[in-house]
Amino acid sequence: MYKSAIWTCALLLAATAADAGTIEMKVNGLVCAFCAQGIEKAFRKNPAVADVVVSLENKLVAVQTKDGADISDQELQATLTNAGYDTKSIERTDTPVATIRENLKSPPK
Amino acid sequence: MKRLIQCIAFAALSLPFGVVAAKPIAFAHGTTVMAEYGAGTMEELQVFYAPRYFYSVGGGHLALDSDIDGRSRDITYARFNYLVKRWNREDSQANIFAWGGIGRARLSESADDETAWNAGVQMDYETRRVYSSLKTDLYEGSSFSNRVDTLQLGFAPYEHDYDSIATWLVVQGRRITGGIHDGTEVAFMLRLFKGPVWVEAGATTDGKLQAMAMFNF
Repeated sequence: MYKSAIWTCALLLAATAADAGTIEMKVNGLVCAFCAQGIEKAFRKNPAVADVVVSLENKLVAVQTKDGADISDQELQATLTNAGYDTKSIERTDTPVATIRENLKSPPK
Repeated sequence: MKRLIQCIAFAALSLPFGVVAAKPIAFAHGTTVMAEYGAGTMEELQVFYAPRYFYSVGGGHLALDSDIDGRSRDITYARFNYLVKRWNREDSQANIFAWGGIGRARLSESADDETAWNAGVQMDYETRRVYSSLKTDLYEGSSFSNRVDTLQLGFAPYEHDYDSIATWLVVQGRRITGGIHDGTEVAFMLRLFKGPVWVEAGATTDGKLQAMAMFNF
């Protein structure tokens, strides 16, 4: 009884973790950190967003969605446009934003 | 050394007022506060709110003090700023802004206030290593006309990133017409920004303080 409950919880956690995803956006015009504050502010206001990372070096904005949540490409583009930037590409990956953040601090050799 | 301490002190004192941006529009739903002390001939405080990324509304106060004959202008205005065009490239951004406003001016040579009009244009181009901007700002009433033209060229000794402090070395040339200053004021400044805070301070070639602080939130 105990074991089956633990297995059920484990399976549920694994399923919800798999639902959480990362959206990586390549952005044009991303040259000034002061001006790019609006990107992070806008994405953090979105209830579907769990974490955000911005990199000027990689012209990258990466967003981690909450479990089971997604954001449409149209909404992503609108958010970047309202922050004053142009979207170059949008890609969905399995790499957590925390890992992207770590890799940005110390790129893998 | 004394001048450097004055510069740092001014920048620090400016922070509680918030800061301004080199651009009159921050981002959608963003507020920009800016305070500038310009070599004893010009001081300005501005607050703008941007409902959309391409326009902002707000107001400011400009004080001009002549170093020729002592005349002064105190102008309080409401202003509309508009992003005419933006070019977002992979490694650069360029903008054209235009604005217009109306307010009241108090002149040292007149007992009564008068209506003042304001119009201006700014063009800028920046990469992570190079910055340039040209701004012209006209204030005019029935008995006065002053135009402030400002050219800034900046160089970053390293490429900053989103979470690091940005450092820029900036040279500024400024002309103020209408009997405020004769010739061009040239100033050398150190610009720093991180997160929503931007400060810059330096001195003109004749040793006067030039400083600006800005805050986006």
